[in-house]
Formats: sequence, C-alpha cells, structure tokens
Amino acid sequence: MNTLMRGLLGLAGGIALAVSASAQAPIPVAHLADRSGATSDVGVPYAQGVDDTLAWINRAREGVDGWPLEVNTIDYGYQAPRAVSQYQAWMSRLKPVAIQGWGTADTEALISFVTRDQVPYISGSYAAALTDPTGKATKAAKATPFNFFYGPSYSDALRAMLMWARKDWDARGQTGKPKYVHMGANHPYPNSPKAAGEALARELGFEVLPPIVFALTPGDYTAQCLTLKNQGANYAYLGNTAGSNISVLRACQTVGAKVQFLGNVWGMDENAMKAAGVAADGVVFPVRTATVWGQEAPGIATLHQVSAISDPAGTAYRPVHYLAGVCSAMLMVEAMETAGANGGAIDGPRVRDGFYARKNWVPRGFEGVCAPSTFTPEDHRGTMTVQLYRAVVTGDTTRGSVAELIGKGTIGLQPVAKIELQRRQDWLGW
Amino acid sequence: MSVMTPAGDYRESYHADMCIFPTRNSRWAMLVGLALCCAAPLVLDRYALSLMINIGMLGIAALGLNILVGFTGQISIGHAAFFGFGAFASAGFADLGVPVLLAMPLAALATTAVGLVFGLPAARLKGLYLVIATLAAQFILEDFFARAQWFSGGVAGRVTDAPNLFGVALDTDARYFYVVLLWVVLSFCAVANLVRTRDGRALIAVRDHYLSAEMMGVDLAYYRTLSFGIASFFAGLGGALYAHYLRFVSVEAFTILFSIQFLAMVIIGGLGSVMGSLLGTCFMVLLPEVVQAVADALQGGAIDRALKLGSSIAFLREMTIGAAIILFLVFEPEGLARRWRLIKAYWKLYPYSY
Repeated sequence: MNTLMRGLLGLAGGIALAVSASAQAPIPVAHLADRSGATSDVGVPYAQGVDDTLAWINRAREGVDGWPLEVNTIDYGYQAPRAVSQYQAWMSRLKPVAIQGWGTADTEALISFVTRDQVPYISGSYAAALTDPTGKATKAAKATPFNFFYGPSYSDALRAMLMWARKDWDARGQTGKPKYVHMGANHPYPNSPKAAGEALARELGFEVLPPIVFALTPGDYTAQCLTLKNQGANYAYLGNTAGSNISVLRACQTVGAKVQFLGNVWGMDENAMKAAGVAADGVVFPVRTATVWGQEAPGIATLHQVSAISDPAGTAYRPVHYLAGVCSAMLMVEAMETAGANGGAIDGPRVRDGFYARKNWVPRGFEGVCAPSTFTPEDHRGTMTVQLYRAVVTGDTTRGSVAELIGKGTIGLQPVAKIELQRRQDWLGW
Repeated sequence: MSVMTPAGDYRESYHADMCIFPTRNSRWAMLVGLALCCAAPLVLDRYALSLMINIGMLGIAALGLNILVGFTGQISIGHAAFFGFGAFASAGFADLGVPVLLAMPLAALATTAVGLVFGLPAARLKGLYLVIATLAAQFILEDFFARAQWFSGGVAGRVTDAPNLFGVALDTDARYFYVVLLWVVLSFCAVANLVRTRDGRALIAVRDHYLSAEMMGVDLAYYRTLSFGIASFFAGLGGALYAHYLRFVSVEAFTILFSIQFLAMVIIGGLGSVMGSLLGTCFMVLLPEVVQAVADALQGGAIDRALKLGSSIAFLREMTIGAAIILFLVFEPEGLARRWRLIKAYWKLYPYSY
C-alpha cells in the first residue's frame, strides 16, 4: 500500500513537472545524426559535439533568451530517404525552428523542403551547392536560402589544397606537370567538389587523371592503390570519411604508392591517425576550427565545459569533428538569440536573418576556438580561409589511447599553411 | 443473403462458394470501414495519416509479393528493386509532362514489363535457384539506379512533384491519403477477384503441386512468368505512390533489406491471404513506431541506466523487427490473417466454442 501511494505521488509529481515544463514552451530543434551509417566514424563525434553544446546551452545559459531548447536527435544511418521521411515526421509533430543536419545526399534532397517550410538547416555537409542563397550564380543548381554550414565548402577546401599542392610541387624542386587524381565513392558527398577541383587543377597546370572510385565503407582497396601507383599520381584527393580513407592509406602504404594525399575535412582526424598508423603520416587536410583539442585559446575553458556534459571526468580526447559540431551548433544558437532579442519571435525566417547579423562571427565564449564566419543574403560561403594541417605519425600507434599518443607526440597535427581564397563570384555554388 | 454463417457447409453453387463477404454484417462492416477511412483525414493528425499512407503504399507492394509468394509459391528477394523502378519511372513520366496521377499506373505498367523480363528465369527455376535469380535482379536494378543519371538522377536521387487534380495540388497528407486509399481499394478488389478467376486458380494450382497442375493443362512457364508480372505491377504502383508522397527518390532506399521487409510483411500477414498482406504491412509499419515510443519512454529511465543502453536504444527498433519475424515463423506461420480468423471464430462461438 505504502509503495502504491508513493508511486502515485511520484506520478502526480511527474505530471506536475511535465505541466510546468511545458508552460515554458521550449524551442524545438531537430538534429539528424549519422551514428550507425557509412559516415558514422566522423558522424558520432560531430553529433556528440552538437548535442553536448545544445545541452550545455540549456544548463549553463538557461537556453536561448530564457527559452530552453528541446532537441530531438535521430540517427538516420546516412540514408537520404530516411532523412526525408524523418523530416516530414518532424514537420508534422515537433515543428522545429531549426535543424542540425548531416550528410550531403540528404541535405541536398531536403533543399526544396526547407526552403518551402522556411527552416534554417545547418548541415554537416559542406557541399558548395548549398552556398548560393539566391540561385543566381551561373553554376548553382538551385537557390538554397535556408542552408548554412560552418567552415569552408568542400570545393573551396579542395581549391586551397590544390593551391598549396602547386606551391609544394615547385618548392620541392620538381619539374614537369604534377598529376592530380580525385578519389572517392560514387556518392554525392565525395562527388561534390570533383568538378571544381579538376577545373582548378587544370588551371594551375596539373595533369588531371581519371578519378578512382572506392566505397564509403572500409574494405580492401589494393586495386585502387595499384592504379594510383601505375598512373604515377603525385597528388590524390581523398573524398570519403576517415574510416574508408584509412583502408586506402594502409593499402597504398603496402603497395608502395608515393603520393601526397589531400584529405577532405571529414577525411582525417586523430582517431584515423591512430587507426592508420604511419600510413597516415603526411596527409594534408583542412581543419575548420581555430584550434584543436589540447591547444591554448581564450575559448578553451568554455569548450571544456561543453565537453564535460558527456564526459564529466574530463578525460576524453575530442577530435576535430567534435569541435566543428560545437561551432556549428553555436552559430545556430546565436542566430536564434538574435532572432529572439528584444522579445522577437524565434521562427525560421528570423533565425535565418540572425545568421546575417554579424561579420567575422565568432560565437561568444568560443574566441580562438571557432574560426570567424560571415554570411550574407547573397553568399552563404561562411569563410574563404582554409587552414591546412598535416597529420604527423612518428611511430607505433597500436598501444595507448589517442590522448596518450598525442601526449607522447606519436601522433600530432602540424599546421602547414593558411590559404586565403578570393571570394570569387564564379566560384559560388559549385 | 444470410445474417449468420451456418454451422456447416450448405453452399450449393459455385457462386455461393466464391462469395467474398458471406454475411450481411460482413458487407456492412466493409462499407463502414471504408467510410471511416474516408473520414480519417478529418479527424487524424498528420503523423497518424502519414502512417496510414505508408501502410497503403507498402501494402499494395506487399499484395503484389503475396501473389507471387503466397498464391503462386514462387519467391522473390528483389521486390524492393521493382518498387524502386516504379518510383523512378513515375518520376520520369511526370518530368516528361505526363500528369502525375496518370504517371502512376504508367509506371506500374513499365515495371510490369521489367518484371516480366526478370521473371523469365522463374519459368524454369524454383526454390533456392530462383532466390539467387531474383537476388541478381535486385543487384542489377540497384546498380542501374546508381549509374543511370538520366533515369534516377544517379546517386544523388531525384526530386518529384506532388500530384495535381484539376489545379488542386495533392501535396498534403490529408489530400494524398485519398489518392492512396483509392489505389488500395482498387488493388485489393482486383486481387480478391483475381484469385476467383481461372487464372487465379491456375496460380494456386501451380503453388499446390506444379506437376498436377501441369497434368491438368496449366501452362507452368506462362503462369509463373505472369505472376512475376502481376507482382511487379503492384510493386511499381506502390513505388510510384511512394515517389510522389516522399517527393524524393534515391537508390539508397531500395536495398535488399527493404526486399526482405516485404517478405516479412507477407509472412507475418499470412501467405496466400489478400487481407493478410494489409495486416502484415500494418504490423511492419506500426512495430517500429511502437518500439520507438517504448524506447523514448525508456530513455533516461532506470532500465536504460541499468543496461547502459544510452544512444544505442534506437537499435531496439531493428532488433525487434528481426525478433518479430522469428516469433511469427515459430508460433504463427500462417500469419495474422489466421490469427484474425481465430479471434473472429472465438467471439462468434462464444461461449460455446468447439
């Protein structure tokens, strides 16, 4: 009897809590994550960064302008059709004010939907096709007025790497035309910067080889590496995420292909370096944040608070993708704050306008962590600055955690160059 | 027309034997059910409607597979590929300027043609060999979708339009529901009647014993291929409905796992039962939703913490589907359709069941 009474009291208390919570009218936010699909190797840390940040906003800053965020995170397994049906389910029930998205295929499939429903969509996809809000750019497929992302587009990052590669070729005193090859799965994400990269490579005097296809999932890619070796490629772009790139790096090391690999933003990280071992040594890739975990910056203290949400002990090492997740979630939060300032309504169009409110925008408290972004109603390329790092692996990575290996200096990230691209109008949208 | 079914077999004509709704009440129940369905968009919210739409379009495809598996005794694990073909074909016809509502049956016909081609091996093969042949169909079509840029938009997929009726865009769940309902009613009526025709009986004869059927004069090759064609027709129709509902079609959706889900639908629903196809689809569509609700309720609760489920709680969904198939195969191999008959009989005879 006693337990029954206690149960009833608890139930009543729960209902009372639920009622009082609903009285605060939380801001619905949807989050589409890949935790089990082909890109889950990098999707997991990124999604953790987003979720931790939004939870931290609720806890440490009492939500956005006093309104708590109600975050609904769904794992869609990197399947575009599931993303679209999930989106429709959200729009009928949760009615999110903004969405944190993920992959290129699903983000591009959802363009017309989010434009129609006026929902700002902050993707983990940096496809250049998402950067033209007006649709006026000559090579843009369609207008994407509600799509945003944090960091340089895939195309711009590749352009920067090619510019670096050209200088590197000359600096090494090589003669003749360097050979460039695009590698990746036949999928919208690796395909996204292919045309832009090959066009610029020709412009810069590279010989462009036929692209090499390898799947998004890890596998045996010895055949691809033999092709690479036989073609005599000098610079190869790795279009896939870290897990599948590791397979290529290892196979190419075995085969003995002497190639300078250029990874994409999702193509390399600290976990991949540990997994690939010395095969990953020398890969050049863009890092979107101003710092990486373990460096010093004014905003690092805030970053550690965010990280403590899912790691109270404070022992976890956060790879570059976690930091990128934090920064893209913070952009959304601050755009919402702008929309809600002075009692304004926090709705889709006003949150979108919130993205235009600042120049060289670094979220408050994350100075030195997030790189500055600038969005305008005509141009959603948040940044044209590309920071290139080199993966450095000096020894055996099989023993010890990533944090220990970094502490010992077995693996590390070495800044290589900071490339400032021109904001060329003819580069918009592709 | 009797009010009750007699306790015994007193049917004297073929006509009486083939009656689909034997009592007045069953006829009324059907009409009332249909009227309730028509009224559904007025009372249900978008979420419930979207589930019903999903049941409708997947149910049509499952019905097609049931003709193949349940009535003809063949097997196909390439059903999702035909479903996908219908989806892309309908999107293609619509892009060529064909009204969407017309593009749907056209796409179904196109899928029938493809199904007949891939059904040709079925005329000669059975059992495991046929499984492998249809597996090949699955992979050939999937690869075709991924590469044929003009047809499927390649790996990026293609965006489709909502149907339009006299200038009214059927782009909301409430309106699209009627499109799906219409096709569901037409398809299920057609198949319920098909199995009462000479061709339908021939299909069943092929299933029950192919040698006897052949001795009776049933052309095995013809009917096996035909059943592939019919199955593909409904797969294509379901796919076309899917394409214009989701308004985005991508090769990623039509994997072999989806084919297996169709098989699961007809097995759970009941092989060789028209109504079972719909029951099985209901089950397969609603099960993940129920599990999701349970998972949401468990999230953060004592069980979640005790078992350290955390973020993997979402995988309960996938696991439950697998478990459901096994449990059905063990405990109710004749599917929900038989369970439904048993429940009806129980109440009809209550309290004097014999």
